[in-house]
Amino acid sequence: MKKLKYILFSCLAVALMFYSSCKKAFLDEKPYSSYTPITLNDSLGFEASLIGLYNHVSTIYSYSDQQGWPSVWQVGTDVANATTNQQGVEVPYYDYTQLTPTDGAAAYMWNRNYILINLSNVIIDGIENPSVSAISAKGKAAINAEAKFFRAYAYNTLATLYGRVPLIKNALTAPKTDFVRAPLNEVNDFIINDLQFAVANLPDIEAVKSNTKGKMYGRANKFMAMQLLAEVYLRTGKNDLAEQQALGIINSGKFSLNKARFGVKASLPGDYYSDLFVYGNQRRSQNNREVIWTLEQENPSSVVGGITNSPQQRRVWGTGYYAIQGMILADSLGGRGLSRLRLSNWFLYSLYKPGDIRNSQYNVKRRFYYNDPANAKFGQIIPYTGPDTLFKINPSITKWNQFDPNDTFGFAMIKDFILMRLGETYLLLAEAQFKQGKLSDAAASINELRKRAFADYPTRGQVQSSDINLNFILDERARELIGEENRRMTLMRTGTLVDRAITLNSNDAAKPLKGLTAKNLLLPIPLTEIQLNKDALLEQNPGY
Amino acid sequence: MKRKLLDTSKCAVIFLFALILSLGKSNNSIAQTTTQISISGKVKDNQGNPIPGASISVKGTNRVVASDANGNFKITAQKGESLVITFVGYVTNTILVANETQLSITLAEDKGKNLEDVVVVGYGTQKRSDITGAVASVPKERLSQLPVTNVLQAIQGAVAGVNITSGSSVPGSQPAASIRGQNSITAGTGPFVVVDGVPLSKTGGSLNDINPNDIASVEILKDASSTAIYGTNGSNGVILVTTKRGNTGKPTIRYNAYAGVENIAHILKPRTGAEYLQKYADYLKQINQPQTSPVPNFGELAYYNSGTTTDWVKEVTQTGVMQDHNLSISGGSQDVKYFISGGYLDQKGPVKGYQYNRTSLRSNLDVNITDYLTVGTSLFFTGNNYDGGRANLLFATAMSPYAPVYNDKGEYKIYPMDPEQLYTNPLLGLVTDRISRSTNLNGNGYAEVKFSGVLKGLKYRLNGGYTFFPENTASYTGRKANDMLGTARTFYAQTNSYTLENILTYTKDIQKHHFDFTGLYSAQQRKYTNTTAGAVGFVNDELSYNRLSAGATQTSDSYADQYRLNSQMIRVNYSYDSRYLFTATARRDGSSVFGANTTKYGIFPSVAAGWNIGKEDFMKNASFVNNLKLRGSYGKTGNEAVGVYQTITTEGALRSPFNGLSTIGVVPNNLGNANLHWESTTTANIGLDFSLFKDRVSGTLDVYSGKTKDLLLNRSLPIITGYSRILDNLGKVENRGIELSINTKNITDGDFKWETSANFTANKNKIVDLYGDGKDDLGNRWIIGKPISVVYDYRMTGIWQTGEDASKQDPGAKPGDLKFADLNGDGVITADKDREIIGQRAPKWTGGLTNTFHYKNWNLSVFIQTAQGITRNNTDLNYGDETGRRNTPAEIGYWTASNPSTTRPALSYNNTRGYGYASDASYTRIKDVTVSYVFSPKIMEKLHLGSLTLYASGRNLYTFTDWIGWDPENDYATRGSGDWTNNYPLTRSFVFGANISLK
Repeated sequence: MKKLKYILFSCLAVALMFYSSCKKAFLDEKPYSSYTPITLNDSLGFEASLIGLYNHVSTIYSYSDQQGWPSVWQVGTDVANATTNQQGVEVPYYDYTQLTPTDGAAAYMWNRNYILINLSNVIIDGIENPSVSAISAKGKAAINAEAKFFRAYAYNTLATLYGRVPLIKNALTAPKTDFVRAPLNEVNDFIINDLQFAVANLPDIEAVKSNTKGKMYGRANKFMAMQLLAEVYLRTGKNDLAEQQALGIINSGKFSLNKARFGVKASLPGDYYSDLFVYGNQRRSQNNREVIWTLEQENPSSVVGGITNSPQQRRVWGTGYYAIQGMILADSLGGRGLSRLRLSNWFLYSLYKPGDIRNSQYNVKRRFYYNDPANAKFGQIIPYTGPDTLFKINPSITKWNQFDPNDTFGFAMIKDFILMRLGETYLLLAEAQFKQGKLSDAAASINELRKRAFADYPTRGQVQSSDINLNFILDERARELIGEENRRMTLMRTGTLVDRAITLNSNDAAKPLKGLTAKNLLLPIPLTEIQLNKDALLEQNPGY
Repeated sequence: MKRKLLDTSKCAVIFLFALILSLGKSNNSIAQTTTQISISGKVKDNQGNPIPGASISVKGTNRVVASDANGNFKITAQKGESLVITFVGYVTNTILVANETQLSITLAEDKGKNLEDVVVVGYGTQKRSDITGAVASVPKERLSQLPVTNVLQAIQGAVAGVNITSGSSVPGSQPAASIRGQNSITAGTGPFVVVDGVPLSKTGGSLNDINPNDIASVEILKDASSTAIYGTNGSNGVILVTTKRGNTGKPTIRYNAYAGVENIAHILKPRTGAEYLQKYADYLKQINQPQTSPVPNFGELAYYNSGTTTDWVKEVTQTGVMQDHNLSISGGSQDVKYFISGGYLDQKGPVKGYQYNRTSLRSNLDVNITDYLTVGTSLFFTGNNYDGGRANLLFATAMSPYAPVYNDKGEYKIYPMDPEQLYTNPLLGLVTDRISRSTNLNGNGYAEVKFSGVLKGLKYRLNGGYTFFPENTASYTGRKANDMLGTARTFYAQTNSYTLENILTYTKDIQKHHFDFTGLYSAQQRKYTNTTAGAVGFVNDELSYNRLSAGATQTSDSYADQYRLNSQMIRVNYSYDSRYLFTATARRDGSSVFGANTTKYGIFPSVAAGWNIGKEDFMKNASFVNNLKLRGSYGKTGNEAVGVYQTITTEGALRSPFNGLSTIGVVPNNLGNANLHWESTTTANIGLDFSLFKDRVSGTLDVYSGKTKDLLLNRSLPIITGYSRILDNLGKVENRGIELSINTKNITDGDFKWETSANFTANKNKIVDLYGDGKDDLGNRWIIGKPISVVYDYRMTGIWQTGEDASKQDPGAKPGDLKFADLNGDGVITADKDREIIGQRAPKWTGGLTNTFHYKNWNLSVFIQTAQGITRNNTDLNYGDETGRRNTPAEIGYWTASNPSTTRPALSYNNTRGYGYASDASYTRIKDVTVSYVFSPKIMEKLHLGSLTLYASGRNLYTFTDWIGWDPENDYATRGSGDWTNNYPLTRSFVFGANISLK
């Protein structure tokens, strides 16, 4: 009996010992399907982290959870108004009485940019870590510069929209809830530092990396950093430095304003200005020599991961002609739009001078004809009668036209985003020159755009020094960049939002401007951020 | 990793082997020789009728026989041993073996809850009278004759302290359960489910995989004393399901079946044609637009002109049909007992395309290999099938009555409200291909060794459970369903889980002292993998999802994770004279989901005591008391219910295109917390079990107070950090409650009998602390001193009417806008100053009431269930009409200048404040009514059947509620949010069934 006990307990002890030996590793965790930061500290890891930045930036433009998102940056300014087909997120941006700290659009913009800052910080911290030795100093600088460009891009958006913001210079590895808003000049200096580094260390546009299909012009180049730096200098009153940056781009000779038909629709009705914005023509690799930064998008039904969400630009800007009986969706009409916004009367009827190609029927579509052959009125012009004209056949720009015969409903607009273009460089230059009192230089810069815009220049279109003032430059920006620029940001940057919106666009019939005051030159800091930042006071902008 | 797994299994195998080895020896050394007496006898009921199939066992041995058709049996025993005679429905009889060899045994019918009932507790069983913790048994009558597909549906409202909510009525969906309130904010709050001793939770499977017909009993462990032995899985309570097993005796063949119909319990009717036209006209008036057409879209004109309308709700619905068939065979000899069953359930729901069918097989086996070794298995296979393209109820309710269902070709018109493309035809889902299946292959086995000699009372049991749970879904959407390219997707996932448990138990009686010892050493692992493959761009729709390479663009993905748990547990029960009862337990759990900076191990102790007052001498005079027991327990349980890999900062892969080439990128997606450990809940429970007036009134009363600390809080971070959240151990929550169950026998004698059982539960949940600084977290709607789940919103006080001045309260508000209280009186409505708690989402109290009436062979049972004090946001009210683009429910009105509502806003109202339309979601439901007829033995004799019961049962018969909508309990999503394509109403069913057993 004793023997039995002995055997039993010794066996038990042995078994338990076995168990303990297994124990420690038994509970270790290793994520099978995710990377951890330490697995990404070589050149391929950094490269992948950089690609992550492009993916993230595209989510700012492709957001569709609130379909009125693109409207937020246009309606309630001088150029556009919401229509009955509005979605909702844009409402507080023309009825400013409703713009509160719980605003959805202000929260989304804040969210996207702070995450972009963290993604950039992770890369910058990683590449600046001396223990990373397998990458050359030059290679490190290039990686660092690309990340710093995006960090500056995010901070510039935040500083323009919210003013003073918390400045996070390194990636966080633990929670933090005691952020305070940094002085604006500190934020601006930080942006300028990053961009100066980026300008010095990013490749020339023809020196960007390649993949098997050729040079990746979609990747950051130094001219992108220069253009952004020019804008930052303008915002911070360093006009001479802004002028230098803009001139640097123009004088590089790498870019030119397009003055001839080209690309995939060159043989179809159109003009050399409309060609710039046709999907298939929007990239430098597609012979578009005017673009500085094109954020590329692909149809996910042919390229996996081609877009990050379902961009709404066409639906917001495009006309809802589909809702007219006798109309069918057509490529020539730019696919299915919803007229969520309508260009302002000021834009439509007072802005352009005759002969301006930017206002041609191919660029601002003002007339619609019944196109359903089964309809008795086929081929006849659709009359402007009743309220329908405000949101079914309202005149609209064609820059976001896009049609997929396999998906005529087209919830997603599959088209590249031209984020920087030489046309804007001239406008930044003109603004820098004007602000230094160099009126004739400014007129000359504007005239570079006019030469392209007017076939009979200088008979028509030429401007004189006496024409130049800030409003004129902002008018010209609307003429050249309508639909492309974030109009709200431009007017907030130049402090002209209140004056221009009220003066030029205050009496829209459907969705009139309401409650716009000087406080709206900054957006509200999202309330949840203030509440979650429980260990320090994150001050709200005045008036909210 | 594989190596480690092997090592662990090896460990267990060695352990087992060592024991078997030692047993072999023990058998030799402890063989005994004593005189055996051969006893024969007859088992009868009070009326003298023989009881066939009764089990006669010799106490403390494996010797068991069953009585034959005439109630006769033969068994051998020693003098001084005891015979235990049991039969379901009768009071167990114990007889000491003396010199008598001919026995006549009368079993009394078991009236009322038998205190000798054996109750399944964690890692063992106990007599009801010996239990010190709060353990509730689900009434047996809830486990049969109800048309439920998941046992939780039957438990809803029937057990105090258990709150079950059916957020969805989609066929095959499982209700959510919570026991004694919400202990956790972020981590899981669902109870831990154990089937036949082996965890079902965390194996991928669900209670859908357990055929309710196979269930013998369901016990619910509620207090710390009974759940602490489940350690980090104990905080949310434990549901123990025990399936039927074979008994010694003649085989019993049973066939149970029901069939019936289902419809929608309450239809939230859309507007009719005329109402729809009026709404459109009113809408245009409110937005100051002239009306140019009677209908919003020209696609509606044809029907409008001809006066034709479509009843869209009718188009997408049908009469549902359900049927359930179960065949089981059980029986056994002295050494081999078996229960084998097969079941088939088929449910075609009232919304077109929704169906569920289940095929199940079970084989439970117990074999006495030798007199010291018993082995057994519980094997089951369940195939769940949720196939089929589905209609979209939400779209149906949004469709214009003037929109046609079909186009000229007789196919579903894709955009019935052409050119409105926001809403496609609600029936398009029916022309998609879709499969959705899961299979649970579960094999549990045990080996139990009884020691004898000096080690008498010692038992070792090895439990091994293995679950293979594959899931398979595939879908194809083609041209007819508005996908011009054709999109196919297949998904395959499998979960492999095992549980290995070494359980040592020791029982010892020394005079009136009784000791029970249970020790456990166990390991658990779950490994999950999945593979997704898809393709877009097919030449035509012929191949569906069956040839992905025929698609132009391919996508694929895979995922894998692993979870492990390692545990030790000890439990000691001591009782003196069955009067004074003590229990102490402790469990040590190590879980892989805890942070690398921690030991990963937590210890969870508990103590409990019970006092059977009714057995005290001084109670002998109080003859009206049959039983009175006071219980008290105190202990700590844990909760580890967070996802894997939360403790590690991870980066996920994604893509961006350059030059048309998809390029891989990575971004951080989780901020890990290496300090993460378990939540712990300390609960005190005091309970009273009573039975009075000859068991006419019996019941249980429990009060408890639980405090949870170190909450696994998914706390929101300022996005300035780059992350929106991190999981952390923060905060404290408290739950206090009272539970009362009472069973009464109102009329007991004569042909008419009436019994009532009622239960009542009230739970008070509150957040005690969040971040240790006493501050609320308004961003997350967590407010200290208030329940976890609250509706925090503006307080709506009415509607702004024409002529009212809004400028001092809500400048900018127009007539027809919602009127909100300006709580701080600053003359504006602001998000930070004018919102408050409107109500809690969990019920303040719940209850259930069952009345059962018997008249001769007829039985009628009526079950009413209630949940009160619930506030929820009402999506049906919130939805509005999307700027005039959809139809809305007729019941939900709107404000107009000429017909000013005081509760509903104007159609033109733009809800920019995101008000959620909080509404009272309390309800009382006539949950089920069952009428049954039990055929008398005489008729059975003629029919040559063992027994026959016929019944009719109705479920969800009527609901009393103030809620406006489909149902207060079900969740509905708005377009594009949540599970919006599966909005599905509560259903009402009527079935007829038969339970037959063969002779």
